[in-house]
Amino acid sequence: MTGGSLSLSQISVRRSGRTILSIDHLTIPAGAFVGIIGTNGAGKTTLLKTCAGLIAPAQGSVRIDDVNLGRLGPWARCRLRKRIGYIPQSTEYNAELPFTVREVVAMGRTSLKPLLVRLDRQDYAVVDRWIETLGLGNRRDQTFRSLSGGEQQKVLIARAMAQEPEILMLDEPCANLDFNWKHQISEIIERLYRQTNVTVLMVSHETGVLPPACERIVLFREGRIVADGTPDAVLSTEVLRRAYDGAFRVVVAEGRRYTVNAEREGDR
Amino acid sequence: MSVLLGQASLAIDPFFYTVIAAGAIAGASCGLLGAYIVALRLPFIGVFISHTAMAGTIFAYLFGLNPTVGPVLVSTIAAMSLAGIRPGRSRLDPNVALGILFSLMLGLTFLGIGLTQDSRTEILGLLWGSILFVRGESVVVIGVAALALAAFAMLFNKELKVLLFSRTIASATGVHETFVYALFLGLCGIILAVNLPLVGGLMIFSLITNPAAAAYQICRGHRAVVLASTLFGALSAVGGFIASYYLNLPTGACIVLASALVFALAAACRTFARRAD
Repeated sequence: MTGGSLSLSQISVRRSGRTILSIDHLTIPAGAFVGIIGTNGAGKTTLLKTCAGLIAPAQGSVRIDDVNLGRLGPWARCRLRKRIGYIPQSTEYNAELPFTVREVVAMGRTSLKPLLVRLDRQDYAVVDRWIETLGLGNRRDQTFRSLSGGEQQKVLIARAMAQEPEILMLDEPCANLDFNWKHQISEIIERLYRQTNVTVLMVSHETGVLPPACERIVLFREGRIVADGTPDAVLSTEVLRRAYDGAFRVVVAEGRRYTVNAEREGDR
Repeated sequence: MSVLLGQASLAIDPFFYTVIAAGAIAGASCGLLGAYIVALRLPFIGVFISHTAMAGTIFAYLFGLNPTVGPVLVSTIAAMSLAGIRPGRSRLDPNVALGILFSLMLGLTFLGIGLTQDSRTEILGLLWGSILFVRGESVVVIGVAALALAAFAMLFNKELKVLLFSRTIASATGVHETFVYALFLGLCGIILAVNLPLVGGLMIFSLITNPAAAAYQICRGHRAVVLASTLFGALSAVGGFIASYYLNLPTGACIVLASALVFALAAACRTFARRAD
């Protein structure tokens, strides 16, 4: 993997006259796995959207491999964004349409082909390979809408990987899933990261779904970075108290870090 | 029976062939357009653009301008300007914005009607259209517009699919989403403006929504949806016309009811067949 680095400098995103994201400096080297956590409304999704150029900051610059996203025209911006695999929250895609699983995964190849050029056999070979890799072979011709939430998430991951991205942005990929699916999706993300060494930015409310491969966590509160470092450094009782206004401690199991409420534990 | 025979002999009159051809083309165009509009959850777009074209036609009529070019231009520009409205990015929901714009165009339309000194029959005909009085050259115009839409749907098929699934994903991953969406809206403006004199502002809404909604009930895969919606649109228009002809009922109303019937049948199929997706 040669590309896939991200750099944000002096970023300020405003909405309705209020600053919702303010970052002095944040650099993510190519091939890193970074977990983004924080309170509700802390600016985690805004950060992803700003990195992908979906939200234009009021000031500051977003650079992908040293190319300033804000300085590009629409066509050049599209060319740069081909490197981004993006998995949004479920409210941002239309799961009710009768697209088949293969059609959804094939959408990952769209930006790799110029306008007016159809996907060819090679594209579909890549699509089918990712369908098989994610264990969706028997679901290939079923509609996306007929799948369970966990299976839909697998399809979205296959779609993003079919794009052969250098940066993979995941916005709450384990939200609204049962614990078995949360674990499965988290393991899939880790496996894909280790196989492809794609740069990963994973937003999550729950620390337990960040896989052991996640070697860095950035913690947000009210649009600002509260802590940025190794999971051990960020998920300390002191830092969590500052960010969440409560007493929490971290339980480590199989390389994953789960936060538990220390106050309630004390009550018992 | 004699009446039926009499009408049956009328049915082979070339005049009615033109009407049926116009209905089939208009229905198919609206059905195809609807496959995208319904998936974008913007059914109001059809009403807004058709009323923009209607206001354009009336003011062109008032100022003595060309009655076709003016409305086509106005509705195309109005439609393309909607490309800037993105769900989640502005405080206004796109459908609310369309509702406000629609009421503005309706107000302008009735203001234009009020200012018209001459007979208002022709103008009021724009509400329901006048498919029975279609001329050969109109069929050619809507036919060319329909072919342009079909070509667009084929050429930009891969981009359109991502756009329908998620504009966020399309935009974030480098699909030329804004360009294709603006082109689509422009084409919407043209299709609706050229079909308006035939099917009318009110009927266009049902021909956009009902056939597409029916297709989404029973189809699997994007291609099947697009083909079924186009076919259902044509069937609604032609079936509605034939029903009105034999039952001696208003044509516009029969076409609207036929499109609603197509949706009801599709919904029933889905319910009773319990077809697995």
